[in-house]
Amino acid sequence: MNLVLMAGLLLAYTGMLGLCLGLERYYKQLKQPAPAPVVLRALRCAGWMALVASYACCVQAWGTAMGSVAWFGNLSLAALALVFMLPYTPRLLVLLAGTSWVVLGIAAIG
Amino acid sequence: MKTRTITQSLAWLHTWGGLIFGWLLFAIFLTGTLAVFDKEIDSWMRPEIPAHTLKPSEAAQRALDYLHAQQPNASAWNIGLPTERSPGLTVSSGEQRRGGGVNLDPQTGAPLDVRETAGGGFFFRFHFTLDLPRNIGIWVVGLAAMGMLVALISGIVIHKKFFKDFFTFRPAKGQRSWLDAHNATGVLVLPFHLMITYTGLVIFYLTYMPAAMDALFDGDRVAASGALRETPGEQRTEHNHAPGKQDIATAGQRRDGQTPGRGESRRPASQPAPLAAIEPLLSEAERIMGPISGLSIQNPGRSDARIEARPLLGNRIELTKGASMVFDGVTGKVLRQPAQSRPSLLTQKVMSGLHFAQFGGYPMRWLYFVCGLASCAMLATGMLLFTVKRRRRHDSEGALGAVMYHAAERINVAVVAGLMLACIALLWANRLLPLQWAQRGEWEVRVFFLVWLASLGHAIVRPWLAAWREQLGLAVLMCAGLPLLNLFFVNRGEPLFLEITSVMIGALLARAGWQLGQPARQRPAQRKPAKTMEQH
Repeated sequence: MNLVLMAGLLLAYTGMLGLCLGLERYYKQLKQPAPAPVVLRALRCAGWMALVASYACCVQAWGTAMGSVAWFGNLSLAALALVFMLPYTPRLLVLLAGTSWVVLGIAAIG
Repeated sequence: MKTRTITQSLAWLHTWGGLIFGWLLFAIFLTGTLAVFDKEIDSWMRPEIPAHTLKPSEAAQRALDYLHAQQPNASAWNIGLPTERSPGLTVSSGEQRRGGGVNLDPQTGAPLDVRETAGGGFFFRFHFTLDLPRNIGIWVVGLAAMGMLVALISGIVIHKKFFKDFFTFRPAKGQRSWLDAHNATGVLVLPFHLMITYTGLVIFYLTYMPAAMDALFDGDRVAASGALRETPGEQRTEHNHAPGKQDIATAGQRRDGQTPGRGESRRPASQPAPLAAIEPLLSEAERIMGPISGLSIQNPGRSDARIEARPLLGNRIELTKGASMVFDGVTGKVLRQPAQSRPSLLTQKVMSGLHFAQFGGYPMRWLYFVCGLASCAMLATGMLLFTVKRRRRHDSEGALGAVMYHAAERINVAVVAGLMLACIALLWANRLLPLQWAQRGEWEVRVFFLVWLASLGHAIVRPWLAAWREQLGLAVLMCAGLPLLNLFFVNRGEPLFLEITSVMIGALLARAGWQLGQPARQRPAQRKPAKTMEQH
């Protein structure tokens, strides 16, 4: 139950990260060489898919009605964290998404 | 006169409407955000109540034992059970009154001497009445909520790059940064802003739009809400609702327009009879309604005893305030199942439920809290933006304009920094005021308003930026220093989460205060916050 909750939040965060980095002006903040358009496209697609998966997790954890409310809350929370950290530590954001999935995976097994 | 475009007109509306209502709205949103955790704050403000892990039925048994011994002949007993959110166990006898009763130690069943305090309920009441006389307050808050809706819609329209700047925040660029922060907190949390403002208006629909009630029920609110509640198939033989627990929308009036309990206790047929065992009865109520928050027992110890169990709000979005189920107090048989709302009332209850956030447990509560903080940040940055922006040009707008902008600057400080200061001062006052003072709870509220007033005075006499920094600095110290109070005062409860949150908010404020000093004066601004950051 709690794992699904966390997964919902993490998916919302990952999805927002994907949508954000899928735009060239934000991708540049990673200080990487300019990405190919196909990379940006893939990032955006993955982002949308993660958001849909996040909704599924929320519904799974809370039921349809509360899940919808929680999903909007998760989206807002994830996007807020993203926006206010992006200018300071863009790479940390990606790292954060990666490590939290690993931690969640370990928690799921353990 | 030049014709203006619709965007320009809306920008004007957003600026001025936002400023005027923003002062009210910030107070409403900040106390509302705190009220998300009203019970937790309340527990913190009553440190005499110990944390425990008793089951509800065990606690209920303690309360019943106490009432048996102390009030065997009372016409009614009322028990407030400990819940996930608050460890307190309260009992009272006779007609139930809000906030009355004796606090019991759930472990021993002995009465506890709990300090008199304004409690977390103060933030809740302030949130929708602003501590004004109730109906006036509700109207003022409703007006502000309409202003908020206007500001939100006009804000969406005048925001030129809604999607283009969706993830944009450019720090350390003066006015630009404040605008980015305002836009980000506005756009990213927009669903919450719209939802919470609209549902806030729906709660008091009978107050704001009484026309239907006046036409159909001659303005008799009791009759109107009674008719609303009545479901077609419901049996209306049982009328012993506990008074006191009123629905918030029917404020001040009793639900059925009759006095429950009276008369019933002297029915000639009633014989002395032992009360049914509480444990199976509670578990049946829990099975149907979820966790139980309170019990009312009419005619305890008589053959016509009735036990009414009220659910803890929060098993569904619908605000189930006023729902209950009734048992026969001797046999333990179910006499009345909780009523189902019909669609029209259900709609209203779901909407007010969305506002009250009693559903979904702690994760949902935290989401509401963070979104609420974001709303506060949006309002605060909006007000700041007004003055930061005008600062540059108000000299050219004549003497009157200059005076007005000066006044707005001062009021902004008092509203934003001063109110935060007042809120945290209320918590400090709860510990520092002498325990034996008469009307101690009222004094806590007085401290709240005195601090707020003092912050206005301070904002008037000090230069603009200094006033901001000093008041925010003090708020940071008081938020971060809240756990230090534990060194001097005993807290038997579970204060950890509240104090961590307080320290975190202190850190956020320190960050914002530091940012505030940045653009205007680069060098001196860096020294002062460095000092405040060291404190925690």
